[in-house]
Amino acid sequence: MTQSAAPLMSEFEADAVVAAAETVADDVVLLTLRPADQAHLPAWTPGAHLDLILGDGSGEVVRQYSLCGSPATRDSYQVAVLRTPDSRGGSEAVHRLAEGDRLRIRGPRNHFPLVSSPRYVFVAGGIGITPMIPMIEEADAAGADWVLHYGGRSSDSMAFRELLTKYGDRVHLVPQDQTGLLDLEAVLGTPAPQTLVYCCGPEPLLRAVEERCHAWPSNSLHLERFTPKERADDGDDAAFEVVLQRSGLTIQVPPGTSVFDSMRDAGVSVLGSCLEGICGTCEQTVLEGDVDHRDSVLDEDEQASNECMMVCVSRARGPRLVLDA
Amino acid sequence: MSIPRNAWYPIAASEEVGRAPIARRVLDVPVVLYRTTSGEPVALEDRCAHRPVRLSDGVLEGDLIRSTYTGFTYDPAGRCVSVPTQDHVPYGAAVRCFPVQDDGSFVWVWAGETGLAALRTPPDTALLRDAGWTTFGGSLDTAAGIGLLLDNFCDITHVAQLDQDIAPPALTAGPTPPLEVEVSETTVRFWRRFDASPLAPWNAQVLELPEDAEHEQVEEGEFVGPGYWVDRWTVEVKGHDDRDGQHVFVFSHALTPLSATRTRHIWRVSRNFASSAAADGTLTPLFEAYYARVGEVLEQMQSILDEEGPRPEVAVAADAAVSHVRRIVQRMVADELGG
Repeated sequence: MTQSAAPLMSEFEADAVVAAAETVADDVVLLTLRPADQAHLPAWTPGAHLDLILGDGSGEVVRQYSLCGSPATRDSYQVAVLRTPDSRGGSEAVHRLAEGDRLRIRGPRNHFPLVSSPRYVFVAGGIGITPMIPMIEEADAAGADWVLHYGGRSSDSMAFRELLTKYGDRVHLVPQDQTGLLDLEAVLGTPAPQTLVYCCGPEPLLRAVEERCHAWPSNSLHLERFTPKERADDGDDAAFEVVLQRSGLTIQVPPGTSVFDSMRDAGVSVLGSCLEGICGTCEQTVLEGDVDHRDSVLDEDEQASNECMMVCVSRARGPRLVLDA
Repeated sequence: MSIPRNAWYPIAASEEVGRAPIARRVLDVPVVLYRTTSGEPVALEDRCAHRPVRLSDGVLEGDLIRSTYTGFTYDPAGRCVSVPTQDHVPYGAAVRCFPVQDDGSFVWVWAGETGLAALRTPPDTALLRDAGWTTFGGSLDTAAGIGLLLDNFCDITHVAQLDQDIAPPALTAGPTPPLEVEVSETTVRFWRRFDASPLAPWNAQVLELPEDAEHEQVEEGEFVGPGYWVDRWTVEVKGHDDRDGQHVFVFSHALTPLSATRTRHIWRVSRNFASSAAADGTLTPLFEAYYARVGEVLEQMQSILDEEGPRPEVAVAADAAVSHVRRIVQRMVADELGG
């Protein structure tokens, strides 16, 4: 009897119950999620995010939210979600959840890890504060020297401001209606030695921080996007060949079809979640070939290293890629 | 493979640590372990601050430990509290104190950044203390890096090659069914389900089932951190009256890296059936021989790596779990080292 040797890949997934839903700032709900059965929740580290899978009338809505509790809490996960009038409607569905409601959770995964450093500058805009909460706890516990610059529309819109008071003058709250925008020139204008910059927030803030950090040593800046980075030019999609070494398969990727879809079509089980190049789930190790990186996860150095790629959006520069898959 | 420091490692079995100091090691650091008069575990660097002597050669005085050469005496936090030759203690004299936890099965130490210990928890080992399970085990020092042990647990198909006596016939019946792999940021779990097939004779014997009867079987493995691995073998018995049900072996592996190329391996075999001492008598020698044999092969791998260096490996589809575990461990190391 011949059996398919292809492994079936999946991410940890479980039914969860909303143990608490609290409004912690204007339009921000903090959800505490516990497993619905005896399942053990996997451990996670600061910067990790979780998929919430919500059923709505017309089907499934999957959204990613940073974990904002403490990794030391092992029996629940916490996410804080801003209600946004986006066309995709995920946050509305989250805001309708009440204590006792059930949903599916998947992950966690982490493409925004806190790398060890003697000093950190954390820059958060609005709901971008969420991954910073466990990062700050960790940096503080490790005895690092750190500061947080946290900007928001108004004081009432800024989640976790009470929790942050315990850190004293390491935390700089900048409500726009009182003190204007974050002064990035003052915060990042002069590159500091042995210092990592972590930033999460809306796209204009991320772009401004990226610009300021050009003068910093490479690898200094770590940021996380909620939405795909705008690309100047998606280039022409050419066809190319992908060798999947472990599976012993060679597949063709036609223009307009992703490597991810081509792998799935060939019967190779590959993980994927957002399929927009932001969540990092579909990362594959590259053994050979030049990658045309189109994701919003890897930083410039990681892209240049050519060691891995997000197969949901990225393609080949040349005729052929070899993946460890 | 480099080895994470920011992790809980099961440095000793709980019953090994008592009111006499013992010497252990984690990541090239010697550690002395003992218990205070109230039973709390203490883990200190096993080297007196005054002269290069082991505190584990010393004696306990209440909750304190005194070097029987220098006479320097330390408290459970590692602070020197008295020296024999002068009234005042030299300023700042201390030995490193490791965060330590005892879960009733293992004494876990945190070898990394001290402040981070409180933000991580050791793996759950409650099954080893559950009255519904019968457990035996052993331990061995293996002259092989922890990465080789983890690779080994990720793929037990080699059991069929290594030990024909212990291997379930399901593993030798041809290509194995596909592996299902479930990952998260920090964990990897995999399983494969075998069609009904006979059991190894020893397994049929402890289950008191006929040797030729066929049963569905499930292999499962779980990486929950660099210091702990759990695998399971489930036999689903149907049509044998009161023998019916899920008969499960759980194999727990507590791993402590002594150095880059040596690992302390404490193994436990638990079962939810056949709790008799007679069954222990059948099973214990089998598993002692098997884990010793695995240890020998891993030591051979380490010596080949030492002599010839690593080489690119040809991977197969079944390596999906190996590659995820390696990736998690490499990420832990990279994040610790900094950018």
